[in-house]
Amino acid sequence: MSLRRPALLGWMLAIGLLVGLAFAQNSSPPPDLSSRVYDIARELRCPVCQGESAAESNADISVEMRRIIAEQLAQGKSEAQIKAYFVQRYGDWILYDPPRHGATLWIWLSPLLGLGLLGWVLWRYQSRLRQRAQMASAEVPEEEIQRLEAELEGPKPNTDR
Amino acid sequence: MNMQRFLWPLVIVLAVGALFLWGLRRSNPTALPSVLVGKPAPAFTLPVLPPYQAEWGRELELSELVGKKPILINFWASWCIPCQQEGPVLSAFWQQNKDKIMVLGINTQERNPSDALSFIQQYGLGFPSVQDNGRMYIEYGTYGVPETFLIDTSGKVRLRHVGPVSQADLAAMLKQGGG
Repeated sequence: MSLRRPALLGWMLAIGLLVGLAFAQNSSPPPDLSSRVYDIARELRCPVCQGESAAESNADISVEMRRIIAEQLAQGKSEAQIKAYFVQRYGDWILYDPPRHGATLWIWLSPLLGLGLLGWVLWRYQSRLRQRAQMASAEVPEEEIQRLEAELEGPKPNTDR
Repeated sequence: MNMQRFLWPLVIVLAVGALFLWGLRRSNPTALPSVLVGKPAPAFTLPVLPPYQAEWGRELELSELVGKKPILINFWASWCIPCQQEGPVLSAFWQQNKDKIMVLGINTQERNPSDALSFIQQYGLGFPSVQDNGRMYIEYGTYGVPETFLIDTSGKVRLRHVGPVSQADLAAMLKQGGG
């Protein structure tokens, strides 16, 4: 009995350690890839996944993409060069940030366009209001204006009697 | 004045509606045109799978095949369900049109090489297949299996087909390849 208990404890510890190791391996990047690899991979789409970057995905293709990034970094290539390598094969689609040229430029410009449009609509609304106010004031006869102005100035001394 | 007031919102609503309709009517919203179309097909030299070594040698080089006939390159994997449906169709097409077009399989993303061999046996793939070195499916910009590329006699990619090919697809490719 006294012998069995340490053995059981030992087994439990060993299993716990193994389980822990398995989880640790799943969640942390393999030690041979630098964080720079993951920084670049994070900006590239995993081609076979839905909404996952090449950094998060564990699909074969993403693992291979990370390996390619690591290799090219080791060859001294820049981030732009590495991205260009994938764009040459997959098109701009592979980039999470659409490039600021060509057909995807409008995505970047659309907030500005929207703001401009809003400004234009407001300006037109304002000028129409102003025009209407002017038109309305032009229609009021001169004597009416004089009467109103006089009323604003205060009661006049009575001249009738 | 009044007409104009109603015209603009109507035009905007119709334009947005047309955009939605266009989005809905696209045959496959996930399909992407390959950027390789019109460009030279990425070159490779890859090991031939054992069942085809007697006829095709130990390694196949793409450049050796280019120029004679148009080539269909088919990426497949044993675990891919649509490939099970596509394999026999592609194989029958190859048997009928061997003299007009070349069909070359690239077995890719395979966990276990023996799975590929049993797949070849089970679905009777007659056309030769090579083993991907883990890079060719990235070189060709594939994003799944099966995918098929038509390469013309000048070695340029003519089209990319995503998903299993049907007999009609293959007939169209044969025509387009000039075979």
